[in-house]
Amino acid sequence: MGHHELWFTELLNNYFAAPAQAVLNLFGVHAANPDRPWVNFVAMEILVALVIVVLFAILKSRLSVDKPGKLQHLFELVYLFQRQQADEIIGHDGRKYVAFAGTLFIFVLFGNLIGVIPSFESPTMFAPVPAGCAMATFLVYNILGFKENGAHYLKHFTGPIPWLTPLMLPIELISHLARPMSLTIRLYANMVAGEKVTLVFLALTYFAVPVVFMGLHVFVSLIQAFIFMVLTMIYIGGAVSHEEH
Amino acid sequence: MKSKMFLVLLAMFVLASPVFAQETAASADRPFITITSGIAMALASGLCALAQGKALGSSAEAIARNPGAGNVIRGALILGLAFIESLALFTFVVIAAKF
Repeated sequence: MGHHELWFTELLNNYFAAPAQAVLNLFGVHAANPDRPWVNFVAMEILVALVIVVLFAILKSRLSVDKPGKLQHLFELVYLFQRQQADEIIGHDGRKYVAFAGTLFIFVLFGNLIGVIPSFESPTMFAPVPAGCAMATFLVYNILGFKENGAHYLKHFTGPIPWLTPLMLPIELISHLARPMSLTIRLYANMVAGEKVTLVFLALTYFAVPVVFMGLHVFVSLIQAFIFMVLTMIYIGGAVSHEEH
Repeated sequence: MKSKMFLVLLAMFVLASPVFAQETAASADRPFITITSGIAMALASGLCALAQGKALGSSAEAIARNPGAGNVIRGALILGLAFIESLALFTFVVIAAKF
């Protein structure tokens, strides 16, 4: 959580400062330090994305039906798990949406777990990264809702009885707007709290005790990635479901 | 055996000394922030513990009654525990924002 630059951020700042400046100027944002525009969480986010792309490129080149390797077994398990969740939560043709929710799962999982490795930092520990994922979820489930149900999607917001609409509309709008916020805060608070607990026990003693909390942090990372995926699926399932009249 | 335990405890205590040297002067001008955030966190984590205990207790009961449904119940339990825990963490975020 320090303000020092990690080595990867330093690398990006040394060699890729100009493109970042150009992008920031495009959106009219000014970096706090104009010479070194990269901040840690953006750099770590890009690193996580790179790791995922490279890993899956390797995986894809090695796929085989006859002799599946260990990596293939592992990711087949992950995919089967995601597909099973989609079948259970979204139900009928839920498998179409595994691509989006599963990608979020992999990204959040890698982002959470990279913080355990020394000299790296979880990008999900900073609110903008989970907020980006949550906004993506928000946009996707609303767009899918309109795509699947057309104008009938608006009926989700008006409640079951017509004359209750003035009461239900604000409630539904607020609850829908609260979804990305709660997704964001849940993920980033869990990550910050896990890190803080380890830090507090490190300040207390260096003797073996912090390891327990790092193990707990790894467990929480897995659970939070899973929950992010499940909530995404629940929201998509709620939006694309056809109401029976 | 006992002396070994004593040595370990002594080592832990000596290593712990940095924590006594540190003083947080961040909110010296607003003393009530410290008190209220302590009480808020205590309330949040205490009630969160009660809720998690209730969830854990009833799911253990359910698994004992019907071990066949164990996997489904365990999945729902872990999901529920994470949701309950995130409520305590919302309090933590509010404190961190105000501190």
